[in-house]
Amino acid sequence: MADETAATAATAAPPQDSRSETMAFVIGIAGWLVPGLGHALMKMWGRAATCFLTVGILVILGAGMRGNLFSSRGNDAFDALGYLADLGTGTFYLVARSLETNGADVSHAGGDYGTRFLATAGVLNLLAALHAYEAARGRKA
Amino acid sequence: MNAGMGFKLSHLQAMLLFALLISIAFGFLSRRRPIERVKYIAWSLFLFLLFGVAIGWAMYPFSR
Repeated sequence: MADETAATAATAAPPQDSRSETMAFVIGIAGWLVPGLGHALMKMWGRAATCFLTVGILVILGAGMRGNLFSSRGNDAFDALGYLADLGTGTFYLVARSLETNGADVSHAGGDYGTRFLATAGVLNLLAALHAYEAARGRKA
Repeated sequence: MNAGMGFKLSHLQAMLLFALLISIAFGFLSRRRPIERVKYIAWSLFLFLLFGVAIGWAMYPFSR
């Protein structure tokens, strides 16, 4: 009898679990696409604003310093990794593209720093999106 | 705004901005209470700068 109750509870639980899991996934994706949106959906306004501003400032600085914004047509594994990092900024990748009208210039230190700023913005946003996902699942606060 | 405006930052300015932005993001993501956030941001910023300057000096002998 106790086994049956446990089995019933186990079969009854999944729909809600799966719904909250789906919601957490949507929040994670939203946080990736628009920095801070994942936290905003959970009404974590301070974190949302911080993610949006820090990622945004890093992207603007990186593009302004003419950092290298990697594309999908890379020559080697490092280019592919750089592209993945840059993609981490979500829609801000397109913003960086539109800002860099003159293209990258890594012949000076500023351009090289810009490349790191852009990559860091992407990785930071991925971290924030993962944090939002985990918070939505109730694992972090 | 376009890349034509270009940001000309010195090494120190770039490091300071980078450290400050990342510290703030880490502080807000990893701590809930304001006072804890401030402490975390200050400590993180200090360590970023300390390690940045230390690594810079460590590379100095090989720069020439």
